[in-house]
Amino acid sequence: MKSLDCVSFQCPYQESRLKTTESLINRVKDEIAKDVRQKRNLVWLELNGCSGNTISLLDGQNPDFMYLLTQMTNMIYSNSLMNSGGNTAMNQLFDVIGSDYILAVEGAVSLKDNGSYNVIGRHNGREITGYEAVKRLGEQAAHVIAVGACASHGGVSAARPNPTQCVGIQDVLQRKVIKLTGCPCHPDWFMGTLAYLLLYGEPPLDNRDRPLMFYSITIHDRCPRRSYFDSGIFATKLGQETCMYMMGCKGPVTQIDCPIRQWNGHVNWPVGNDSPCIGCAQFGFPDAMEPFITYDTMRGE
Amino acid sequence: MAEKITINPVTRISGFMEIDADIEDQSVVAAKTKGLMFRGFEKMLQGRSPFDAVYFTQRICGICSTAHSMASALALEEALNIVPSEQGRYLRDLLHACEFLQNHLRHFYQFTLPDFVKLPEDYPLFKTDHNDYRLPKDINDKMVNDYFESLRFSREAHQMLATLGGKVPHNHGIFIGGITSPVSADKIISIKSILYNIGQFIVEKMLPDVYTIGTFYPEYYQFGGGYGNLLSYGSFNNYKNLGTLYVDPLVYSNGQTSPFDPALITQEDEYAWFNENDEPDRNKAKAYSWIKAPRYNNIPYEVGPLARQWLSGEYRNGISAMDRTIARVLEAKKIVEIMQTLIDNLVPGVSMQKEYEIPVQSSGKGLVDTTRGALGHWLYIDNSEIAFYQIITPSAWNLSTQTNGMKGTGEQALIGSPVRDVTAPVEIGRIIRSFDPCVSCATHVFLSGKHVNTIQVV
Repeated sequence: MKSLDCVSFQCPYQESRLKTTESLINRVKDEIAKDVRQKRNLVWLELNGCSGNTISLLDGQNPDFMYLLTQMTNMIYSNSLMNSGGNTAMNQLFDVIGSDYILAVEGAVSLKDNGSYNVIGRHNGREITGYEAVKRLGEQAAHVIAVGACASHGGVSAARPNPTQCVGIQDVLQRKVIKLTGCPCHPDWFMGTLAYLLLYGEPPLDNRDRPLMFYSITIHDRCPRRSYFDSGIFATKLGQETCMYMMGCKGPVTQIDCPIRQWNGHVNWPVGNDSPCIGCAQFGFPDAMEPFITYDTMRGE
Repeated sequence: MAEKITINPVTRISGFMEIDADIEDQSVVAAKTKGLMFRGFEKMLQGRSPFDAVYFTQRICGICSTAHSMASALALEEALNIVPSEQGRYLRDLLHACEFLQNHLRHFYQFTLPDFVKLPEDYPLFKTDHNDYRLPKDINDKMVNDYFESLRFSREAHQMLATLGGKVPHNHGIFIGGITSPVSADKIISIKSILYNIGQFIVEKMLPDVYTIGTFYPEYYQFGGGYGNLLSYGSFNNYKNLGTLYVDPLVYSNGQTSPFDPALITQEDEYAWFNENDEPDRNKAKAYSWIKAPRYNNIPYEVGPLARQWLSGEYRNGISAMDRTIARVLEAKKIVEIMQTLIDNLVPGVSMQKEYEIPVQSSGKGLVDTTRGALGHWLYIDNSEIAFYQIITPSAWNLSTQTNGMKGTGEQALIGSPVRDVTAPVEIGRIIRSFDPCVSCATHVFLSGKHVNTIQVV
């Protein structure tokens, strides 16, 4: 029996969701420290994108990047962060094949002209395209995580008319790819997924392979401005503290936990900043989510 | 007989880059900087709503997304004939300043420091490919600590940005008129306290660290300079009441400083992978990079912190790889001071937003100096949609291909530099990283006219 002083009047459901990442990570750390668990190799592959998921990863806290690097995994490769360059770096990347590793990919796969619109290095004199790298590393990895919109489904890199024929990595891999949609991916979504993989293997996923612990409920269902929607009080310009549905908010179709998690040290999020959600964490972003902002508040009537 | 070396990938930059260099008598005699990714943002933007450009163009670059929201908001304001309030400008510029701090902290500690400081090789990411580490163990150990400690401050620079901008990368704050949400007293004090800590770190750790590197690697003051032509579109300048807090639009060449004239910007693609119709063509015979060749008055210019520090008169020690890196750190300190001034002039609760209308036809340009230097967005609206969008990024200036017989700025900076060991050409990476290359930004161009100024801006 729990004693009464444990009873909280906060909703336990929301609370536990927010703590998911941190509690998983702490368990990984404890088990590694106690030698119950071995550190696994992590390869972070950048393809045709903006490297914004690397920056978002660096923006993470509890756990932060240092913790990932020193306590959770053996990080083998990151174009943005690794010391070595040139052929030494390429060796470091391809030498991991044959061992146990988890592959995280950001950026889309450019298919145009045999992938030559995205060259990620030169190995023993030969150009390595992003397409070749993800094929070779993706088929052999223990797990593959698509980090962000571009790796998950092409994202902005594949926006019409898709000049470089970009696709998500699932389109070139015959295997399960866990997809962390979002532009960028929140550091907690990646860290929490990684921690789950390290502890228990593959997390429960939705029908498009996104972890349910982050992606199951729409923004609209947990929006702090939901009462304005229900009362029909709609913003007509940015900067108003009411519902932005009529200005193009994509909260009703976007399944992600931004309203309760928030960003950058959990201080704010787009709707909290009086601007509409643009659906960056949903498949189809950006083309299916436009216009992002509209002042035509009578649309659809 | 020259020995040819190739470095690909050049790591610890944003995006993908190769450097080819010819070495004779332990010295670089020829060099090519190659941008190796292309996405085609200008083409994607055609037909979209002009309002969406602010959020869409941020996706060009994850490390400097805020810069693109600045330039696109400025271009839209010109096209829509909107003049932002001074409060709107202060807030928008504060967001942008947070991005400067995030970038400078990360570029110095995560991208530059590993060139000079030996990080613990127990971690595979820190395995190294050269032996030119000169710091005594105690100093090296301190710098390793600072590498990790800095992560908190770059993260908190983004936390300040998100406080005013919703989230970052790819913020929801900057927009036509300033930012979306009025500032409140609790946000002001939150930013002020984070900024205080960042300022302390810069003064107590970052500045001593960069000068220590300069002391142990002094020859980097002697090379990596290049042409010495410097350009800025202006930065934190021309406020109604505050005047210019940093630098006005200026250029410097042959020892002369003169006012910047946007009509003198041109862009060529002689050696870039684009055909005569400006369509991407990876098989173009003499081309070697996705990066075009922006020029001012037909010559290549350097943009970025050293250009701004020099043009503002704040730092005039020299133009070299080490001076470039020192200027970046000095600029971080300057940005903290500018932010303090802007914060002190904020008025809480002032609304900046209106219901905007898109004209049927219009055009605009947004020129602003950002972390890596001069950034320009040019747009043309027709039928109330984006009909044309062009972007020239700082890294396109710094890492341009050659044209008209003149090497790009970064290429020229490499020429003449020593390479002591062709199997470990550490000098090349150190020089090129001093420009803080962002290839994700530099190589998305699709539709450039030969002359940017052919767009009529009323």
